Amino acid sequence: MFNLIKREVIIQKKQLLLFFPFIIFFIVMDSHPVFIFLVTSLFIPFNALAFDEKTNVNVLLNSLPYTRKEIIASRYLGSLVYMAIAIGLTALALFVAGQSFTFSHVALGAGLFLLFSAMTFPLFYVLKQGYIFPIVMISFFLFVGGGPAVFALVSDSLQGIIQFVMGLSMTTILSGFLAIAAVLYSLSWVVSATVYERKAF
Amino acid sequence: MEPIIEFTNVSKQLKGFAIENMNLRVNKGFVTGFIGANGAGKSTTIKLMMNLLRPDAGEVRMFGLDYATHEKVIKERIGFVYDGNVFYEGMNLKDIQRIVGPAYKRWDDALFRRYVEQFELPLNKAIKTFSKGMQMKASLALALSHRAELIIMDEPTAGLDPIFRRELLDMLQEIMLDGERTIFFSTHITSDLDRIADYIAFIKNGELMFNQSIHDVEENYGLVKGTVDLLDRDTEKLFVHVNRTQAGFEALTSNVREAGIVFGESALIEKTSLEDIMYYSKRSDVHV
Repeated sequence: MFNLIKREVIIQKKQLLLFFPFIIFFIVMDSHPVFIFLVTSLFIPFNALAFDEKTNVNVLLNSLPYTRKEIIASRYLGSLVYMAIAIGLTALALFVAGQSFTFSHVALGAGLFLLFSAMTFPLFYVLKQGYIFPIVMISFFLFVGGGPAVFALVSDSLQGIIQFVMGLSMTTILSGFLAIAAVLYSLSWVVSATVYERKAF
Repeated sequence: MEPIIEFTNVSKQLKGFAIENMNLRVNKGFVTGFIGANGAGKSTTIKLMMNLLRPDAGEVRMFGLDYATHEKVIKERIGFVYDGNVFYEGMNLKDIQRIVGPAYKRWDDALFRRYVEQFELPLNKAIKTFSKGMQMKASLALALSHRAELIIMDEPTAGLDPIFRRELLDMLQEIMLDGERTIFFSTHITSDLDRIADYIAFIKNGELMFNQSIHDVEENYGLVKGTVDLLDRDTEKLFVHVNRTQAGFEALTSNVREAGIVFGESALIEKTSLEDIMYYSKRSDVHV
C-alpha cells in the first residue's frame, strides 16, 4: 500500500519541481489563503491522476500483486497524505512570506479539497479514459467560480438554514463542514471501490 | 503433472464476442504456445488468467488457488509481458523499477541489474524511445527479476525482427532449463512454436479447439489429397475442412491413422504444419 502511495510522486517527480513555484505564484498573486490551500492540496493527487489517465496504468497495477481494493484505498489515503504535506508546506510558505492566515483557512481549504476530490475521483473509474481530465478541469472552474454564485442565488430560499448556521459558533460551523466533507469523501471511496471492483481491463 | 493454470467451464461474454465453456489446463515446467487468428480470443483468455477480466461462469485457478481469496499470492508468482506498453511512456527503466520492484516480495535488484546488462537495456532513457524489441526485453527483465514461476506473454514476438525473435526464443529456452518455470504465450506466428513449445493450445472464435503436446499434434493431424470421387458423407466425417478444386480435394484431418486405413493408397497423406491447421480450421465450422 505504501508503495502505491509512493508511486504517485515517482511518476511526477519532474513536475514536483514546479510545486514551490506554484505555491509562490499564488502567494505573489495575493490569492485568498483558502484558495491557496485548496489548489496546492490538489496539485499532487490530480497530477498523478492526469498521468495515470495517459497510460494503461490499470492493466499494470492490476497485474502486479495488488488487489483492486488496495489500488483504490491508496488513491484515497494517498491524497490525504499529500494534502497534509501540501498544507504544511503552504503554511510554511505563507508564514515566510509574512502573509497572515488562520486555522479556519486551513480547515476550509482542506474541507473544500475533500469535497472536490469526493466528487471527481469516482469519475476516473466511471468515465472512459481520455474524457476525464477535461471534465475535471471544467468542474473545478464551476466549483470555484460558480459555487459562490449559486450559493448567493439560493441563499434567499435558504434563509432559515442560513439563520440557523449563522447562529452557530465559527468552530461549530467549520467542524460541521469538515465532518460533512469527510463523510462524502468516505462515500466517494465506497463508490469508487465498488465501480473498480466490477471493471474489466 | 501439476496444473499451473486451470480453467473449468469458463465463460465470458464481451461485446460481440464470447468465450464459452473453456476448459484449459497448463502443466508445470512446460512451454505452451497459444495460437489462434486475430480476434479469436487469445488476449481475452490471457486477461482472464491475470484477473483483469472475471469470468461470468466457471472457475479460473492458478497454482491451484483461486483469485477471490489468493489474488496477491497468485500474482506474486506471475511475470507478465503484454503486447502493448503498459508502463508510463515518459519514464525510464530505473523509475519503473522503483514502481514495480517494491510490489513483489521476491524482487531482486541485483538480478534485475544483471538482466538489464544482459539485454543491453538503457536505464536512464524514456521507455517511449525503446524499440518494440527493447520494450519486450524490459518487460521480460521485470518479469524475471521477481523470480516468477509462471510467465504469461501476450504476443511477445509480434512486430519483432526475425533475428531478435530468435534471440528472444533462445532466451526463453534458457530460462526454462531449471524445470521449475512454466511459460504460456500467445502468438500467431506458428514458426515460433516449432522452436520452443511443448504444448499447443489452439483457440478459434472463443472456443478452445485443442490443447495437445506438439508431438501429438504432429502425429494426429495430416493433409489428405485425392480425387473428388473419394469424398462421401462417411469419409468427410474424417475431415476438419475440405477444400475442393477442379483437380481434386485437399482436406485437413485430425485423425491421420484412421484416414490412412480408410483411403489406403488411393489418397496422398502428408504431414501438416501448424499454419495449415490454423488455416483450414479457420475456414470450417466443424469441431477439430
